Amino acid sequence: MLFNSIEYLVFLPLVIVIYFIIPVKWRWLFLLVASYFFYMCNRIEYGILILFTTLVDYFVALKIEQSSSRKRKKGYLAISLIANLGMLAGFKYLNFFGESVNLLLDAFHMQGNLPAFRILLPVGISFFVFKSLSYTIDVYRGIRTPEKHLGYYALYVSFFPQLIAGPIDRSSGLLQQFHHPRDFNTDRLISGLKLILWGFFKKVIIADRLGLYVDEIFAHPEAYTGLSVILATVLFAFQLYCDFAGYTDIARGSARILGFDLMINFNRPMVARSLRDFWNRWHISLTTWFRDYVLYSLPYIKNKQVSYARLYVNLVITYLLMGLWHGAAWNFVIFGALNGMFLVLETITEKQREWFFNWSRLNRVHFLNNFLSNIFTLSLIIFTLIFFRADSLGNSLLIISNSFDFSNLYPSLWKILHDNELLFGILVLVNMMVAEHVHEKQDLVKIIASKHIVVRWAVYIGFIFFIILFWVLQKQEFIYFQF
Amino acid sequence: MNRKTILRFILFLCLVVIINFILDSAFKAFSVHNDINEVMDQQFIDYQGTMKYLTLGNSHNCINTYILDSSFNYGSPSENFIQSYYKLKYVLENTGQRPRNLILQADVSSFGPKIANRFEYNSYWIRYIDYFELARIKGNRDVLSKWVEGKFISYAGNYKDIQLSIFYRIKVKTLEIYNGYRPHRDYRNFANDPNRQRTAWNKAKLILSPETCLDSSIAIYFEKILQLCQENQIGVMLIRIPMSKEFYEEECRLVPVDDLYASVEAIACRYSVYDRTLDYHDLFFDHPEYFFDPDHLNIKGADLFTERLVKDLGEKNSMALTEQSAKLSGDP
Repeated sequence: MLFNSIEYLVFLPLVIVIYFIIPVKWRWLFLLVASYFFYMCNRIEYGILILFTTLVDYFVALKIEQSSSRKRKKGYLAISLIANLGMLAGFKYLNFFGESVNLLLDAFHMQGNLPAFRILLPVGISFFVFKSLSYTIDVYRGIRTPEKHLGYYALYVSFFPQLIAGPIDRSSGLLQQFHHPRDFNTDRLISGLKLILWGFFKKVIIADRLGLYVDEIFAHPEAYTGLSVILATVLFAFQLYCDFAGYTDIARGSARILGFDLMINFNRPMVARSLRDFWNRWHISLTTWFRDYVLYSLPYIKNKQVSYARLYVNLVITYLLMGLWHGAAWNFVIFGALNGMFLVLETITEKQREWFFNWSRLNRVHFLNNFLSNIFTLSLIIFTLIFFRADSLGNSLLIISNSFDFSNLYPSLWKILHDNELLFGILVLVNMMVAEHVHEKQDLVKIIASKHIVVRWAVYIGFIFFIILFWVLQKQEFIYFQF
Repeated sequence: MNRKTILRFILFLCLVVIINFILDSAFKAFSVHNDINEVMDQQFIDYQGTMKYLTLGNSHNCINTYILDSSFNYGSPSENFIQSYYKLKYVLENTGQRPRNLILQADVSSFGPKIANRFEYNSYWIRYIDYFELARIKGNRDVLSKWVEGKFISYAGNYKDIQLSIFYRIKVKTLEIYNGYRPHRDYRNFANDPNRQRTAWNKAKLILSPETCLDSSIAIYFEKILQLCQENQIGVMLIRIPMSKEFYEEECRLVPVDDLYASVEAIACRYSVYDRTLDYHDLFFDHPEYFFDPDHLNIKGADLFTERLVKDLGEKNSMALTEQSAKLSGDP
C-alpha cells in the first residue's frame, strides 16, 4: 500500500478511529494486525518474512540476556546476524553475487555460469531487518534489556508508518512508547495532519514533477548532453530529497496522530556546508545506524594507539556498505565508496582548507564562505548521486561524459525554458526551500496557528486544494521503496 | 476532545467538502474536453438513418465523416481499447443505434502498456466504464482511484486541462463537430519542423513502451470488443492510420511491429465478424506536409486519407471532392 494512494487515505482514518475507540489494553494488538495487513497488501507471503525476523530476534534477545558467558552471548548474536543478513542476502544480493562471480570468471576466460534466480525483492526488507538487528545488538552490548512482551516487539518491527521506508527507529525510542500508549490528543491530530500534508506537498507536487524531467534524461542518457544532463542530475538530488523527506513526513505524521513520535530523518540537508554536515542531516536514521553498528565495531587501535589510517579505511568501508545497502549493483557500491573517500579527503584536508579560507580572507565574508562551501558540498553529493540514479555503471559514465558536451547548448536551453512543468516544479521547489529556511528561524506553523481562524483556515484549505489541483497524476512510487 | 473542537473539526471538514463540490462541478462544466465529448454523445444519440460505419480510437483517428458517408467518428483523445469497449457496450445496450461495421483504430500505440494505463478525463468516462470490473480484470486496485477522481475530484491534477479550456474559450468561439469528426489540427505543420527525426523519437518514446508491445489488459479488452461485435453481428475492420515516415522508423526501433500485428491478426481471426485490416500507415511517408505532428494528420491529410478510405471501401463520397484534393488523392 502506497502512502500516496486512495487505499491509504481510507486505511489511515479507519485505523485512527478504531485505535482510539477500542480499550487501551487491546490497542497494541489492533495496531499489529493493521500493520501486518498494511504490509501483506503488497504480497501475502511477505508477512512470513517479517514474522520470521520478529520471532528470531525476540527469542535471541531473551537468550542473550539469560546467557552468562560472553561466548554464548556471541553465539546467539551470530544466530540473529546470520538469520537477518542471510535473509537480506538471499532476497537482495544473491543474483548480484552470482552476476559478479560470473563477470570475474569471464574476465579470467573461465566459464562463469552461476544461474540467476527470479526473486522478487520484498518491500522494505532492508528497513525492518536493520531495525530488528539494532535491537539484538543493543541487547548484546547491554545497552538495553530485552523486551518481554512479544506483541510489543512484533509491533516495533512491523509498525506500519515506518515499515516500508523507515525511519529506522531504535528500540530505545519507539519500543518504549508502545508500553505507554497516549490517549487521543487534538493537538497531535492537527500537527500530524499538517505534517502529512507537507509530506504530500513534497512528494506529489515537487518530487513527482521533477521526476518527469529527471526520469526522461536518465532513461535515455544517450540522447541528452550538456545543460540537460547537468540540470537533471542537480534536480535528481532535490527530487530524491523531496521524495524521501516527503515519505518520512507522512510516516511521522501518521505515527504522531496515533500518539507515537518517530525520529527526524532529514534536517535540511541541502544547506550542508561540508560532507560530514550533509551526512549528519541526510537519512539520519540510516547514517547513525551504520555509525553505531558498523563504523564503531571496526577495529581502529593499533599498538594501543588510534590508527588514523585504519579509521579512514573503516570510514570508506562503512560508506561502501551503506551504498550496497541501497541496492545490489556496482553503481551503488561506487556511490558509497565515493562518499567514503570524499569524507576522508575532507578530513585530511581540513587544515589546508582552513588555511586557504584565512589566506583568501573568505572566512571574513560569512555569507560567501557558507555559500561556496554549500555549493562545493552539493556538487560532490550530486556527482555521487549520478551513480545512485543511473540504471547501470555504463550509463553513469555516459552521463558524466555527456555532461561535458555543450554542442547542443541552445536547443537544450530552449527546451528547458519551454518546459512549463519543469519550470513550475523548480519554482515550487525554490519556494519550499525558502519556507524551510524561514521555518528554521521562525516556526511557520506556529505563526499560522496564531492567526485569526479565518486566515488560518484559508491558508490550510488553500494549501489542500493547491495540492489536489497540481497533483502529478502519473503515480510514482517512493524512490526508497525499492530498497 | 471537547465539544468546541469537535464542532470546529466538523465545520472544517464540511468546508473542504463544499469547496471540493464547487470545484468539481465547476471543472466538469468548464472542461472543454467534457464539452466536446458531450456534443459527440448527443450527436450519436441524434444520429438519423443507417450507421454503416462507426469508428473508434484515439486522437490519431481522423476519419472525416463529411467524406465517409453514413459514418460516425466516436474516437476521443487518449482513448484506449478498454474505454472503447465500455463505450461500445453502453451505446449498444442503451441507445437505439446499431452500426453495421466497426472501424477500430489499431495503431502500434493502441496495444502498448502506456495507453493501457492512461485514463484521462475520468469525469466523462465514469458514465461508461465499470471501474470495479476493470480493477478485477487488470488485477490492479489503482484503477479505483480513477473512479474516485471521476466521481468526486475531477479537477485533481487537471490544471493543464483548465489552462487549455481557458485558451479554447477565449480563442475558439465555436466547436465544429460533424458526426463526431472535428477538423481542428491546422495551426502547425510537421513539414516545417527543423528536426523531424528528433521530434518523432520524442513522441514515440512518449507513447510506446519497448518492454511490452501487447499489453495483457489491452489484449483482453480487444477480444471483448470482438466478442461484443460478434454477439451483435457488427462487422469489424481494423485500421492503421497514416503516420510520418520518421515516426514509423522510430516506432520500429522501439517495438517489433511485425510480431505485434501477427499476434493481433491471430486474435482477430478467431471471430467471424472480423473482415480485414486496412493498412494506411505508409500512405503519406513522402508527405510530411499532411501532418500536424509526427503521428497526427492535419485537416488536409485527414481529408485525403478519408478519400482514399472511401475508395477502398467502395463507398460513394457524401461530399463532392474539390479539384485539388481529387488530384492529390491519387498521389500516394
